[in-house]
Amino acid sequence: MKRLLGPFAAALAAAFLLAAPAGAATTDFKAILAQIDKMQDFGSSDFSAVYNIVSEKPGENPATTQIKIFRRDLQNQILILLQKPEKQKGQGYLKIDDNVWFYDPESGNFSHSTMKENINNTDAKSSDFKRYTFAADYDIQKTEEGKLGSYEVWIFTLAAKNTEVSYQKIRLTVRKDKAVPLKEEDFSVSDRLMRTTLFLPTYIKAGDRQIPAKIKMVDELNKGNQSVLTISDVTVSKLPDSVFTKAFLERAQ
Amino acid sequence: MEIIKLALRNLARQKKRTFLLGSAIAFGIMIVTVINGFAGAFVDNISENFANLAAGHVFIQGVEKSASGKESDIIRDDALLMQAVKDANIPSKYISKRSSAQASLIFAGHNAQLKVDGVDFSKETFLPERLMFIKGGLEGMKQRDGIIISEPIAKRLNVQPGDRVLVQLRTLTGQQNVGEFSIAGITVDAGIFGSMSGYANKTYMNELLALGPEDYQLLGIYLPSLKGTDAYGKALYEKVKAVAPVFDRDAAKNDQNFIRSFMNQGKTETWTGIKYRVFTLNDMLAQVKQIADALDTASLIILLVLFVIIMVGITNTFRIILYERIREIGTMRSIGMQRGEVRNLFLFEAGFLALGGAVFGLVLAFIVMAAIGGISFSMNSPVFIILKNGHMTFKVDAARMLLNVLIVAALTEFAAFFPSRNAARLDPAVALRTVK
Repeated sequence: MKRLLGPFAAALAAAFLLAAPAGAATTDFKAILAQIDKMQDFGSSDFSAVYNIVSEKPGENPATTQIKIFRRDLQNQILILLQKPEKQKGQGYLKIDDNVWFYDPESGNFSHSTMKENINNTDAKSSDFKRYTFAADYDIQKTEEGKLGSYEVWIFTLAAKNTEVSYQKIRLTVRKDKAVPLKEEDFSVSDRLMRTTLFLPTYIKAGDRQIPAKIKMVDELNKGNQSVLTISDVTVSKLPDSVFTKAFLERAQ
Repeated sequence: MEIIKLALRNLARQKKRTFLLGSAIAFGIMIVTVINGFAGAFVDNISENFANLAAGHVFIQGVEKSASGKESDIIRDDALLMQAVKDANIPSKYISKRSSAQASLIFAGHNAQLKVDGVDFSKETFLPERLMFIKGGLEGMKQRDGIIISEPIAKRLNVQPGDRVLVQLRTLTGQQNVGEFSIAGITVDAGIFGSMSGYANKTYMNELLALGPEDYQLLGIYLPSLKGTDAYGKALYEKVKAVAPVFDRDAAKNDQNFIRSFMNQGKTETWTGIKYRVFTLNDMLAQVKQIADALDTASLIILLVLFVIIMVGITNTFRIILYERIREIGTMRSIGMQRGEVRNLFLFEAGFLALGGAVFGLVLAFIVMAAIGGISFSMNSPVFIILKNGHMTFKVDAARMLLNVLIVAALTEFAAFFPSRNAARLDPAVALRTVK
């Protein structure tokens, strides 16, 4: 019996290998990841946009948060300014290199913070607004082919290269026809799905790049919690150097 | 001696007036003594309650700095630290070794934030002695994923012992992590700080925090009493400094907010390996001490304000007394009493009034403090942190009490001085002729 099963198992394994994604062998997945990063990297241009975030929680009325983002990717600088709700207006984050400060206009004080903080009780983190660094921070553990809606997709399973990124594992679903992510699933160190981000396939032009105009973030731990981000007022024109300073945050209110 | 007798007789002659003036003095002394007593016990009670929650009076924290400049609290091999504790001759009652995280507990759509302490229940005897369970108990902590929470947290999550909750936290390096815990016990709410803490097994917490099984973050040394906290802290600092790199306490000592400055030292420094921070409960509660000092100062101001008002009353009363006794003064002066003796007679009267009032005030203060101390507050009272075993306590400093009495006596004498001097200066013949 064993003699019969041996060749059968080998044939089965060969069949599986042959059935592997046809394009997989020739596709440069690292290049796709780098392309995704590049799509969100404005290089020598500056970037600013307004994000309207509508958060929903079970049993509560939807809450709206509006933030304005200023980015200078070349120098790893980012400023996030809260414009709504009125109570938090003027609060903001300033990131220069690896230092992150949070400013509260009520106390007039800056405190050290991280880009891992959630913004005003929404499902969005400060780090969601910085440029992607998938290729630098993650190794490709596995790639699969799949379909999401009407799109043919690659599904990347990424494992963190270092322990300083928020999520140890990410499953990234990317369109096959162009290197654009459609879905990001973030996992904890203990391998539990924590958050799903859906990049809806409507795009807004930012210079020579296209960025998703609407993003939906679903909290997988607190069932029913979700945030929808809508982007507007996108510009890639040069911003004054004074924007990326503490003084700007102090005056911004 | 005769003057003293006369002074006492004069006070006894006008019982109602003496009683009213003495009561005013007694009221002032009572208020100030009660405030002083409250301020005295305030620091001790907060310190003891905080020591119970933090599981120690003297602490060592290990801090590691990554290449990117991120600080992480960790103690890996504590052999040197334990030797330092021994060498510093610290009479430790308990030693706690804990790992902790600010976490979010999630259950069926409900969410609660709390600090979860990882405790080695097989070694730490301190916590099991303190915890008062409403439901469940320590039995459930034999399971690796057991967790103990307080009643308000249990109510917010709507959980019972045996329910499984998700705990979202960050690892040592800030990565998102999620653990699944089983509610082992629900404890009595120990006030605002107690309700913010939960306890889990250190091994599981370490796993979620990405620490090694034997690692921990904070070494707490619980002393037999608050006494000696600073001295033992200093001794331990010197011993640890001799064997391992430490954050310099002296560099922060002149800062108004010592603990903040001391905790922020790492931000401007770079080092490799683990650097230790030795600090005490008194360092953390310096601001509480400032509140107590402010209370003491306020009580002194209250004493002075009350006595300025009382002084006006005493001055007026002694003027009336002088007018009432003007012929008596004339008689005494006629039969040979000297001016100084007349003045002293009035000053003795004022002095006895002050002392009598002060003694009465102190007796009243102790009655009031005993009455308040007898009230039993519930464990979930918002004032729990300033209570001792559910009761408000008072600690009166004898020197401070004596100072208050001396201030009162001096002010009363001052108030009575000018009418007394006027009485002494009266011409005996004029005094005897005066018709009221």
